[in-house]
Amino acid sequence: MEERGHTSRSYERALQDIKENLLYLGGLTEKAIQNAMKSLLDRNSELAREVIEADAVINRLDEEIEGKCIDAIALRQPVARDLRFLTTAIKINAHLERIGDMAVNIAEKAIPLNEEPQLKPYIDLPRMSDIAQKMIKKSLDALVGENCELADEVIKEDEIVDSLNDQIFRELLTFMLEDPRTIHRAILIMQISKNLERISDHATSIAILVIYLVTGKNVRHQNREKKSQKIC
Amino acid sequence: MKNNLFYKIFATYIIIILLSVVVIGFQTTRQIKARLLEQIETDLTTYAGMIDLAYTRGDIKNKLDQLAKIADARITVIDATGTVLIDSEAKVSEMDNHLNRTEIQEARIKGKGASKRYSHTLQIDTLYVALPIREGSDIKGYIRLARPLLEVRNSIRQFNWIIFQSILLLGALSFIIAFIFSARLVSPIQEMEQFTQKLRDGEISGTLLIDSSDEVGRLARNINFMMTELREKVQFANEEKGKLEAAFASMTDAVLVLDSQGRIEALNKSFKSIFGVRRRNILGRTPLEAFRNIELQNALEDYKETGKPVSREISLGAVNGSILDVNISSIQGLPKGEEKTMIVFHDVTQLKKLEKMRVDFVANVSHEIKTPLTAILGFIETLQDGAIEEEETARKFLQTIGKHAERLNRLVDDLLELSDIELGETRLFFESVSVSGILESVLSMIEPKASNKALTIEKDMPDDLSPIIADRDKLNQILLNVLDNAVKFTPESESISIAAFDDSEGYVVVEIKDTGIGIPKDEIPRLGERFYRVDKTRSRELGGTGLGLSIVKHLMIAHNGKIEIASQLGIGTTVSLYFPVYKGEDTG
Repeated sequence: MEERGHTSRSYERALQDIKENLLYLGGLTEKAIQNAMKSLLDRNSELAREVIEADAVINRLDEEIEGKCIDAIALRQPVARDLRFLTTAIKINAHLERIGDMAVNIAEKAIPLNEEPQLKPYIDLPRMSDIAQKMIKKSLDALVGENCELADEVIKEDEIVDSLNDQIFRELLTFMLEDPRTIHRAILIMQISKNLERISDHATSIAILVIYLVTGKNVRHQNREKKSQKIC
Repeated sequence: MKNNLFYKIFATYIIIILLSVVVIGFQTTRQIKARLLEQIETDLTTYAGMIDLAYTRGDIKNKLDQLAKIADARITVIDATGTVLIDSEAKVSEMDNHLNRTEIQEARIKGKGASKRYSHTLQIDTLYVALPIREGSDIKGYIRLARPLLEVRNSIRQFNWIIFQSILLLGALSFIIAFIFSARLVSPIQEMEQFTQKLRDGEISGTLLIDSSDEVGRLARNINFMMTELREKVQFANEEKGKLEAAFASMTDAVLVLDSQGRIEALNKSFKSIFGVRRRNILGRTPLEAFRNIELQNALEDYKETGKPVSREISLGAVNGSILDVNISSIQGLPKGEEKTMIVFHDVTQLKKLEKMRVDFVANVSHEIKTPLTAILGFIETLQDGAIEEEETARKFLQTIGKHAERLNRLVDDLLELSDIELGETRLFFESVSVSGILESVLSMIEPKASNKALTIEKDMPDDLSPIIADRDKLNQILLNVLDNAVKFTPESESISIAAFDDSEGYVVVEIKDTGIGIPKDEIPRLGERFYRVDKTRSRELGGTGLGLSIVKHLMIAHNGKIEIASQLGIGTTVSLYFPVYKGEDTG
């Protein structure tokens, strides 16, 4: 954020602290998704278990951040920009924690998948996770730089992930129809795909919150057509 | 007064000069006036004395006017009580009692009196001098002379006029002189002021051209000297800075410098490429804001807590990301409160990969060697335990031991060979070779094994096949290894086909197709790895060392050729070998 002129330096530091914690949480969730996907693609169940365990840290940090935000609101009675920041911080915090949970879900599905032969080479899944991870990174970068355009890009990328999800579903359907022995694995893969799709939804929500923070405009419920309009 | 040295000096001169002139003039005027007055007083006193004499001799009434003219004064005689007896100008009856006049009183007490008064009748200052008329020791009256100070007034007036003219003249002169003098005094100082102003603006070339031998000149010389020193120091500093910048920019390690607030102050090119960021996006931000690498963040936290340099490995993003060796330390020699942090990243991904490969290799080799050795030892033990007594069993055992030992031997040979090839220590003798000739000899070597399994070998080789550039022996080995595999993995009674042809890109392609068990698609890329086996048990049973394809792969590389393997599980495998065509003289 740009330099602010708060009269109280401790207020300033409190806000900066919340922001840094939020970014750290962002980093943790980015890593969690990375490792969850890695545990699937490298067939490393040990790594998957690590991801599941590490979720405790994410949850703890989530609680901490929320507490700090509420304290700040209660103590400082902020207005305007600061109030927007604190309320969106609480929401972004919640989204990041949910993303962490999605990563855990993926890791949990990876373990049984690793124990059976690979159904097919994973091509679309890594592509989805790549985009989803980039979306999270971009939305957090948008938060840091208060960059409305960047946030807008994230919103547009959500469609790509959605269509990849549909694609995977159709492909797996054909596998399952052909050979019932693939059903277990196919369903697990579909669940992973769904989780990735939800991750990108959360990233989109974060981007929307960033736009609100920067412009004061709430673009949450724009319908599909309006999405192509410029927001910033 | 302007804040200006010139004006200060100039004004001072002017003031001093004018003040002096005015004071001198004033003093002179006063003195002259006093002297003149004195003179007149003396005059009048003398005349009064004489008139006193004349009075006592008779009646001066008649001679009064003449006396007055001579004395050039008004003569008044009063008696002891102050009544005016005679006056040369006014009517006695109209004059009042003069006893209390200052000069009379003074004359009564001191013997002579004088006083100056402004006369309203004449509108001019008049000097009065009085002498007492004595008779013995008694005062019988007073003689008083009065002269209007016309003369004095006129003289003073004239004098003042002269002084005024002088002031004007002197003023003009001194103005000019003071101006010139001040200018000359101040000019070198101004020059130095401008010079140092240019210095402030960063312009450090140039010299002062002041040459006087006084303090100003010496000051100027000192400044020039310091300038030369400064220029040298600046140049030195710039050079050092240039060297450091060059080193910083060209380092292959990525470097990040954080300021005392933990914000990114500087980064080099390597950092931009390793982390994939742009300078303007991350300057001024904290690492957490710029790129959220949790491991780096944790390392930074540890560093902040302990204050000691931190060194550890972190991994960078992506699924197959780099591994970096990070070193965090503080930059020495900075004042407290301005500590900066330096973070250096060294890419150890390759190192780690090689390490892993080495570890894997050693594990594999040990395993490969251990297995036959265990078997050999086992058999020997059994023989020692008594099986040696039974000739038939003993013979069988010895045979098996022999086979295992042979296998070990082959393994060591292969390993050495592979190592030689990889290190480039094997000398390859390239010449023009006919593929069909070598193939024939290889086929004859394979024949016994093939007929054991009742395999049919089909050949498809045109007579006009181009010669290739190859090392005869190594070509033999390549074809042998591949055919050996084909024979090994093809089930009994099936067939192997060998075809060779020229492709349109300068290669001769040798295709060996089998109808064997095939290889899963995702395992194909790994076939060239040492000891890599798809089905481990089977391969070992068939006597393989696991190095065959590895050797082939490296030999093909050494021949500037390539190898392609296509396969389908349960159907068969096709190995395609591309050999460069021999083109005339160059056997490169």
